[in-house]
Amino acid sequence: MEILVNLDVMMAKRKISSGELAERIGITPANLSILKTNKAKAIRFSTLAALCRELQCQPGDLLEFKDDQDDQ
Amino acid sequence: MKGAETVNWTKDKSILLSQICTAIFALLLAALDIGCYWAVHWFIRLRNMNWQKGIAFMVTIYLCSVFAWLLLYGLWKLLGNMKSGRVFVEENVRRLRTVSWCCVGAAVICFASCVYYLPFLFVSVAAAFMALIVRIVKNVFQQANAMKSELDFTV
Repeated sequence: MEILVNLDVMMAKRKISSGELAERIGITPANLSILKTNKAKAIRFSTLAALCRELQCQPGDLLEFKDDQDDQ
Repeated sequence: MKGAETVNWTKDKSILLSQICTAIFALLLAALDIGCYWAVHWFIRLRNMNWQKGIAFMVTIYLCSVFAWLLLYGLWKLLGNMKSGRVFVEENVRRLRTVSWCCVGAAVICFASCVYYLPFLFVSVAAAFMALIVRIVKNVFQQANAMKSELDFTV
């Protein structure tokens, strides 16, 4: 049971690079990489809001709930 | 700004003081290791004990000394890590666990030594109590380490 961050999909749709997005939302490229690779343990509402604003999408477009039982 | 500098100064000095105390205890332990024979000789003459007990005393002291050296080394490395700003890391949890087990080891040896000298029971209880305290501190460090790792991965 986990939450997946589909950031790379939305970034590809909006044709925006990691460095540019990190600069626009005010986080480090290293932290953006943590988000993209699904290593993050939590995301602040302010970061999520900034991502939605820059990528012009809804939180649901970025986050996806995956139940492990579905895989079994 | 001045307040922050004062706090920092105090923290560094406090760690330095702990390191000095650790070094003093290491010197005392080295002195005990070197002068164990004479100290035991003096003690058994004072208490009119036989030399078999003297040998048993030396065995207890040297066995406890091994744990004491491991404990002091662990504390020294722990303080070094704290000085360099690495406080809530897995290595420190491991060091504290080692320190705790060293106390348990010394407690067991002292408890066994009660067979020939009952006052060792007090040392054994003190060492076991110290092991408990260090273990609780280790649990705190473990929890803090988990919280820090979660905070590090909060974006």
